Amino acid sequence: MASFKKTQIRSLPKIGQKVTADTLYWRKLNFPVTVKEFGPIDYIDVMPIEPYFIAVSSAAKVQIYNPITHQVHRHFTRFKEAAYGASIRSDGKLVIAGCDEGHVKLFDIGSKSLLRIFKGHKGPVHRCKFTTDNVHVVSFSDDKSVALWDLPSETEIIKFSEHSDYVRAGCVSNISSDLFLSGSFDHTVKLYDARSPTGSTISVDHGSPVESVLMYPSNSIFVSVGGTELRVWDMLAGGRLLARVSQHHKTITCLHLASDGKRLVTGGLDRHAKIYDVQSYQVVHTLDFPSPVLSLGITPDDFTVVAGMANGLISMQHRQTQAEARALNPKQSLKVQKKSQTAYRFRLNADFRSVNRTFNPATDVEVATKTDTNFVSRYDMFLRKFQYSKALDTVLTPYIRKKKPAITVGVMHELIRRNGLKSALAGRDDSSLSSILTFLARNINDPSHANIIIQVANTLLEIYESSSLTPQSEKLFLQLQEHVNREVEYVKHLMEIEGMLHILLASTTTQARRGSPNVVQGSPVKPMLPSAAAAANATMIYNVG
Amino acid sequence: MVKMANKKTRGPDKTQANTSDIVVKKLDDATDIVRQPPVFTNDSKYICIASGRQIGIYSVESADKVHSLKEHTVDVIGLAIKDDNILLSCDASGETIEWNINNGTMIKKAPIVVAGIKEFHSFHYPGNGKFLVATPSMYTTNMSSLWIVDNYTRPRKLFADIKSTPQSIAFGCNQGNGSLVVVALQDHSVVVKDITNGVDKKHMTDQRKFTCVALHSEKLIMATGDISGRILIWHDFVHKSRPVKTVYHWHTLPVNSVCFSSEGEYIYSGGSEKVMVKWRLGMSRKQFLPRMGSSIKYIVNAPDNICVATSHSDNAIRFIDSTNKINRAIIGLVKHDPIRGFADTEPIKESVMPTGLVFDPRSRGIFFNAQAGFLQLYDPQKNSLIFNMDVANRNVLTDERNLVIGNAEVLRVAVSPTGEWLATLEVWSNMSAGYHDMNLKFWRYDAVQANYELNTDVTMPHQDRVTALSFQPGLLGTEMPCLVTIGRDLKFKIWRLVDDTDIYRQKESWSCDVAGDFRKLTPSALSFSEDGSLMAIAFQDTVTLWDPTSINLNTTLSHTLVQEPIELMEFGRDHCFRYLVCASKSALYAWDVISQGLVWKVGQLQSSVRCLVPDPKSCFMAAVLQNSEVFIFSPSSSKPVHAVPKMNSSEPIAALFVPRSNPLASGPEWLINSRLLIVDDQQEFFCVDDVSSAGFNQKLTTPISHMDSLPWTPFSAMRAEKQISAAKQLVPVIHQTSGIQGYKSVQSLLETSASALPPMSRICSLFMSDLMIKHGPKAVTAKVNSVDRTTTDLPFTNGHIDTKTEDFNEETTLQKLLTLDCQWLVETVK
Repeated sequence: MASFKKTQIRSLPKIGQKVTADTLYWRKLNFPVTVKEFGPIDYIDVMPIEPYFIAVSSAAKVQIYNPITHQVHRHFTRFKEAAYGASIRSDGKLVIAGCDEGHVKLFDIGSKSLLRIFKGHKGPVHRCKFTTDNVHVVSFSDDKSVALWDLPSETEIIKFSEHSDYVRAGCVSNISSDLFLSGSFDHTVKLYDARSPTGSTISVDHGSPVESVLMYPSNSIFVSVGGTELRVWDMLAGGRLLARVSQHHKTITCLHLASDGKRLVTGGLDRHAKIYDVQSYQVVHTLDFPSPVLSLGITPDDFTVVAGMANGLISMQHRQTQAEARALNPKQSLKVQKKSQTAYRFRLNADFRSVNRTFNPATDVEVATKTDTNFVSRYDMFLRKFQYSKALDTVLTPYIRKKKPAITVGVMHELIRRNGLKSALAGRDDSSLSSILTFLARNINDPSHANIIIQVANTLLEIYESSSLTPQSEKLFLQLQEHVNREVEYVKHLMEIEGMLHILLASTTTQARRGSPNVVQGSPVKPMLPSAAAAANATMIYNVG
Repeated sequence: MVKMANKKTRGPDKTQANTSDIVVKKLDDATDIVRQPPVFTNDSKYICIASGRQIGIYSVESADKVHSLKEHTVDVIGLAIKDDNILLSCDASGETIEWNINNGTMIKKAPIVVAGIKEFHSFHYPGNGKFLVATPSMYTTNMSSLWIVDNYTRPRKLFADIKSTPQSIAFGCNQGNGSLVVVALQDHSVVVKDITNGVDKKHMTDQRKFTCVALHSEKLIMATGDISGRILIWHDFVHKSRPVKTVYHWHTLPVNSVCFSSEGEYIYSGGSEKVMVKWRLGMSRKQFLPRMGSSIKYIVNAPDNICVATSHSDNAIRFIDSTNKINRAIIGLVKHDPIRGFADTEPIKESVMPTGLVFDPRSRGIFFNAQAGFLQLYDPQKNSLIFNMDVANRNVLTDERNLVIGNAEVLRVAVSPTGEWLATLEVWSNMSAGYHDMNLKFWRYDAVQANYELNTDVTMPHQDRVTALSFQPGLLGTEMPCLVTIGRDLKFKIWRLVDDTDIYRQKESWSCDVAGDFRKLTPSALSFSEDGSLMAIAFQDTVTLWDPTSINLNTTLSHTLVQEPIELMEFGRDHCFRYLVCASKSALYAWDVISQGLVWKVGQLQSSVRCLVPDPKSCFMAAVLQNSEVFIFSPSSSKPVHAVPKMNSSEPIAALFVPRSNPLASGPEWLINSRLLIVDDQQEFFCVDDVSSAGFNQKLTTPISHMDSLPWTPFSAMRAEKQISAAKQLVPVIHQTSGIQGYKSVQSLLETSASALPPMSRICSLFMSDLMIKHGPKAVTAKVNSVDRTTTDLPFTNGHIDTKTEDFNEETTLQKLLTLDCQWLVETVK
């Protein structure tokens, strides 16, 4: 009970974007390295094993980039027209790509040689994938068909022609070599099982042309994007719609998992990439790009983020390494270093204590413990001793005054409470008076502190109105007056605008009333709570299930 | 509409018949323990404290109550230690009782007789069968005459017109000749009398009034304190007419108490600064003990010089050890110091206990004001303080000499219907600074911590003073709670809990949902119907009814017969839900909210209605008038069911129906489920109750034996704690739900959404291994064996161990059952 209670510093939360763990994580990406290609970047695929080579298909070639050096490691140009959807096998040895003439071509990354050509599609093949057993290939073609090919024999095993429009999206299961998904411009997403050649096992309607599909590693959920919507489907429940998320305002083109399957990334023509939490489908961060994003690639360790854009730019962003961070911000790193040193010292103490713990005192023996000395700030120390002027002086130092005005205001508030403001302000010389006056002038139009600042300003005027001032202080008083006048003017303007708005609002409400008189009388109609309605408007997530 | 002219002109009806068995009791345990200075016993082990008509004997070691002595019929005015074991107490009627301190029994009862005197002010015992008693002065009010009474019956007047406080009389022994010296204070002088030698002296100083006096126990040294905060030490004041004085001046406010240490090396002094100062005599050195919580009334030193007890105005006695630290405290119900610093226009009820009594359904306790910025929860069933909570969390500021410095004060409290939420309004207003502060705080009860946690703190919820807050009752568990406030800025505001949870953290906070006003009138009262579907706000003489969810104005009720501004308003409960009872300055009337008409009105009340309290357990309502009359009525009719006549001269400030834990078997209908608790402006608690009910004063615990208050020593540990008997003890059956194998993993598998599950192949083996039994049955039997062995080793403590073996046996059978159940699993896994 006898302890001194600290002065309450009231700091209001800052309005604006909240700093979360995710924003901090994704903000650590460095400035991007960009490479210009000749045509739009159709597809980016990342090798699932180290060194995480990146296969980029654009125009009539497929290039494999080294993510560290940003140099082209291999390039495959044996295409007559455009090459599409180059994809690397899970062991990183082979790459497969579709092309405009309807062929699917298999290359060896090591030797650059063309190993196989799968012929059979009548239209361009935009996507092709290795199945998880690495000996089959699935291709998705504009001739509205999906085909499964055998790698060694170069033959078609099965072909599904259920779609009624171009098939531009597809993916394979990472567990079963028989399951694969296709998404088409006819708005449907179909799940095939190679063991049942009769047709697709699940077919769902996405509502707009499907641009990309993705299956979760657990194989229980798949996601499709197209139009401005992302839809999540439950595979185990036969294609039940789990969620619809619409966060882009133009077509979403690509889809990728990040952070070990905990985050989902979508890129769109609106030049943004949105990162979602896979549990709640809330956007946790947004990445901006200079041009519409057509394709995205993220290495499994989240180290590199590659985006391919419509104007042929490839942007590669690295995560900041520790050394880079240190080089960029030497001051910060010094602090961290210091902290770690102290931590080490405490750790030493802790170890020392634990060594001594072998002795177990009996339970009824009271062990005297050191009372932890709480940190008492200087202003609290002076307030405790009733030295009000000194307390005010400590919070008028330039650092606190400028960087943490809430502390200064908090101490002023406490002085008002204690009826000590007058004695704290009185008898000040020129320099300390000027620091108070500049503080007041700077903060008097901050609405969160205004009432206290005005109180202080009034007291100050009361004390110094009759005393003769130096020209310097006089100038500052005039400056304060100017600030107040400007604020008054500003508030007047605001009130004028408020009045105008009131007129507009009043006219709309009377019209509404005239339109539906029964609302006034019929009270049983219970309107929705404003807060609930606002909440429903604010989030665009509709849980359908 | 039934109209009744005046409630006072009631004819003899059936209500009169009930009156005889309904009584108004004063709750003695709730009275303060700091009215009289406490007294240490000679061995300094116990401290005797007078509280109202009772005397409590507390152990100094543990601050626990050892005995409660109840024989006096009026308030005790003085305590003294006669012998090592005998306590002498005297009450205001002059009755003295001698008590045995060790066993709390009465030894002797005898009255002090002073001719023509009925009332006594204070009592002191200098020894040798002589008493010092102060009686009211004959000619001047608020002054006393001091008498010395020898052997109960032979009084001799010593002084006239002395101050009547207990601290203004002191006695000591002249070491030189062993004569008794008595000193007493008048306003500007000290009067001294050496009884044996018949020396009389009167010392005057300047215009500063004296407040307290103390005498050194051995030497003839006197200490006096005055209103300027100065302490004077007087040497040789019996014989010299101009004695030598030493000035010790640190206090700025009046010195409330001075006390010599028993060796006489130090003096302790205290006052409203809440600081105890320890002065070393003859030196300028002094020690401070600051921030003692509230102002010091009395300081008493223990005879062994180790401990000092201070009585504080917040009804606490604190013990200070030799290292100048507070180490224990005896805390009673805290009296609220009237708020100063408000404007004069403020009504009195705003300054004394402004929260009133607020029932907490969770703990079945009552919230009301404690010290400035504090709130206390009092349990009327057990008659004890549950906790004292710091709402403002500010340093308590003390006044300066000519300046009142206000503190943050809790002005309103509301508890949500479930008791989960507590809303407090604290106001700090200082007229001299011309600035005021207001905070609305929302606290949530954390059942795990058994504590209230601050959830939201709103600065200036209204532009002007908030006059009432109320939670919406009758909400389902799924609905967000809702609070309504009305303020003098002509607005009412609705606050709702907003869920602000995202994937990183869970957060709920309160925010203002709607603010409304009505024809620019000041809202004065607020009430919710019992089911929470209707909210009534009174704007001067008009009652407005609102739908709390949509904030649509349903109806406004006003009548030419009721033109006065409404001060209090309550909805009826139970089957009287449709009646809205309103009280204005001179009238009490009821609206029917369904037919929207005035039902009845009682005009020309003798004094205005102070509190209007509905009984939560029945349809009845109590109206407590300013002149302390109480009427119990049903809102459906104006005829009172019962009327309690004037209790005493004091003015009631708050009232509350407290639900009973056990309903009465018989009695008037309104008393069966609850009883009425009333607090007056002296903050004394009164209870309107049936004679037959046990009441609040019943003894719930047996007095603590002498042994229990002993410190925990190796010898006390040897004392037998439990007795062995042949009777079989009942062992409660405990169902072990947590003991099921793999319960957790099955649960987690079921709870996790399908999307978040890793591939089956990865979790299968983990899941199966969770289902398997970790240790074989062999280990369990080994355990049992070891326990058996201990029982044979220590036969004399078999009471404890026997039950343990039973527990283990139970566990083994459970294990066996589980083994049988999971046999198939184990095999398949193998």
